[in-house]
Amino acid sequence: MAIETILIINKSGGLIYQRNFSDTFASKLNSNDFLIIASTIHSVFAIASQITPKALQITQNNVDYVIPYIPMVGMESSNPQQNRNNNLPVKLGSFKGPDYFKESFVSWNKSGLRQLNSDQFTMYIYQTMTGLKFVALSSNVLANKPASQIGNMDKGKAQNLASQVADNFLRKIYCVYCDYVMKDPFYSLEMPIKSELFDKKVKQMVGNLS
Amino acid sequence: MDAMISPYATGDNATASSVMSEQHQFQLFEESLRKVNILVFQMLINEIIPLSMGLEKKLERANNDELSDKLSKMEVTEGEESLSTVVPTYNTKDIIPSNELIHELSELKDEDKYNKVIDRVRNIGYQVGNKLSELLIFTNNPNLQFKEMDLLLIMKFICRDVWKQLYGKQIDNLKTNHRGTFYLIDYDYQPIREFCIEENALKKELKLVEPFLEFPVGIIKGVLASLGYSKEQVICLATFIDRPNNDIPDTTFAKGISFHVQITTQNNQ
Amino acid sequence: MSRQQSINSNQTGASTITAQSPLNRSLRTTGEEIWKRSERINAELFTLTYGAIVSQLCTDYGRNFVQINEELFQMGYNIGVRLIEDFLARTALPRCSDLQETSEVISKCAFKIFLNISPKVINWSNNKDAFSLLIEDNPLSDFVELPMDAMDQLWYSNVLCGVLKGALEMVQLDCDISFVSDILRGDQQTELRIKLNKILKDEIPIGED
Repeated sequence: MAIETILIINKSGGLIYQRNFSDTFASKLNSNDFLIIASTIHSVFAIASQITPKALQITQNNVDYVIPYIPMVGMESSNPQQNRNNNLPVKLGSFKGPDYFKESFVSWNKSGLRQLNSDQFTMYIYQTMTGLKFVALSSNVLANKPASQIGNMDKGKAQNLASQVADNFLRKIYCVYCDYVMKDPFYSLEMPIKSELFDKKVKQMVGNLS
Repeated sequence: MDAMISPYATGDNATASSVMSEQHQFQLFEESLRKVNILVFQMLINEIIPLSMGLEKKLERANNDELSDKLSKMEVTEGEESLSTVVPTYNTKDIIPSNELIHELSELKDEDKYNKVIDRVRNIGYQVGNKLSELLIFTNNPNLQFKEMDLLLIMKFICRDVWKQLYGKQIDNLKTNHRGTFYLIDYDYQPIREFCIEENALKKELKLVEPFLEFPVGIIKGVLASLGYSKEQVICLATFIDRPNNDIPDTTFAKGISFHVQITTQNNQ
Repeated sequence: MSRQQSINSNQTGASTITAQSPLNRSLRTTGEEIWKRSERINAELFTLTYGAIVSQLCTDYGRNFVQINEELFQMGYNIGVRLIEDFLARTALPRCSDLQETSEVISKCAFKIFLNISPKVINWSNNKDAFSLLIEDNPLSDFVELPMDAMDQLWYSNVLCGVLKGALEMVQLDCDISFVSDILRGDQQTELRIKLNKILKDEIPIGED
């Protein structure tokens, strides 16, 4: 999955972090555009939650919200050649490696927008219990392929897998956020993240993913 | 500073193997000790500066209304019964976020006030250092032979054991002129590793980070005091330094730290 | 545009992975496993650093212990509002359905992960809106002895109340948190009381249901 852009939106809909990783469509937008995008995502997310049919909410059980753990998403040693030292604990900030977590987890986002497909990009949203939204824009497009190329079932599967990879990845960005932003005593909660170290780390992880 | 040598290079090779097994035993012992998550320790340490700043502000305010304060104290002594029974509820809206206090400290114009805050931070470090050496001495550390411990050995003890205990790594470089001057250089000082620095505001940012170097300054003085070199004999200053090479990953703080320790030994001869 | 969670996950069926679902793992196991994977530090160092802070406060406040309690609480609050994110990122635990579950999470996961203790949950109020944590082996106060004048006023470990207050507030639980007793004061046990005032419903992130 190639990630074009990562956004972090605070609980009031304010953009606190935005970074482009390639110079495709997203780089044409200016910072003001991104502020608008952030608050729009925030609103659409909420609207989506409200229009979820009640019947659908009731018939679905928790199974749908369980995100399976996909090993080493966005980690350095996802390259199998370097996997030899896997047994040694790697230091990942205050986390002991090789990975930030290693079990499946339940998404906190139950009725809000989770994935948005267009013929240009796919957007994934991970929301935390404290109301932070981690958003990834990917140039991988699944929606528009003709059904003859990939069967309907496969398309669904592929979408589902992509969404799970995204959830795994964005939770790790959340972990990195904890280590580099929450432990930065100068950081003011809810405000834009200026930490270059966080930036570098995110960039590294996005790089590992592609 | 002429004739600086690096005592790290010259090891005591003769007893290397027996030291190894002692080291191993010591390591096992260390691992058996009670532990807490390093995060809570880091968070606690990070709070020392805002706490000291907040204290300064409150004490100043208290001084300003000293008169009314005296009056209220009289009232307290009259109505003692309410003291321990009342369950306090604190309004969290009034709590000043730590990061605001840190910024306020870095913008403090009043040097006297700034120094008072820094002294408080150092003093907390001093108390920790003072007890820390006791703690390390009682754990049978094979690196410690206090019978004939000269200043250089003590400094090595700080570089190796104290630093390891506090920050999980040793001081990278120790330099001395053998006349009471030492430079302890840490190229990757762990407590500020995650701190961010904006390159275009380097000076301002470094001013923000500066107070975080005072806690270890206090610790060094505390350790030295517990081993016979009193507060008054020791000058310790911390400064930012550039790294000589780039072997440290760029996801860490941009500067190394040098602790300059100056010891006057006339009382100790 | 499609809302992925609604339709296609039903079709493809993610049911094969429910066996390792965190819902099925006990909180105790979660706590222990994450503790095992956390970087640690000597508890004694932590104890004496906290001790140095309290002692500095005593010096500055001229033994005004009520003020010191407040100061420790505020320091804890500032830690709690940040530490909670770490806790959530590490555990990814789902929102608790009631206070009873919250008490278990605090005891078996939060205290376990950060301080490597699991306080017993005791003294539930009749309407289940308040409980106590029985803190044994408090790493903050190991080897600590209070001077006589502090015995009936100082809540030595009050930082814990602040941390819990800040952390719970961030997950939209408005609670009153205070110590009821402390071994350091000569009490039989160290008891920390948590009373839920209200769930800040308006602040729960939309989308959680």
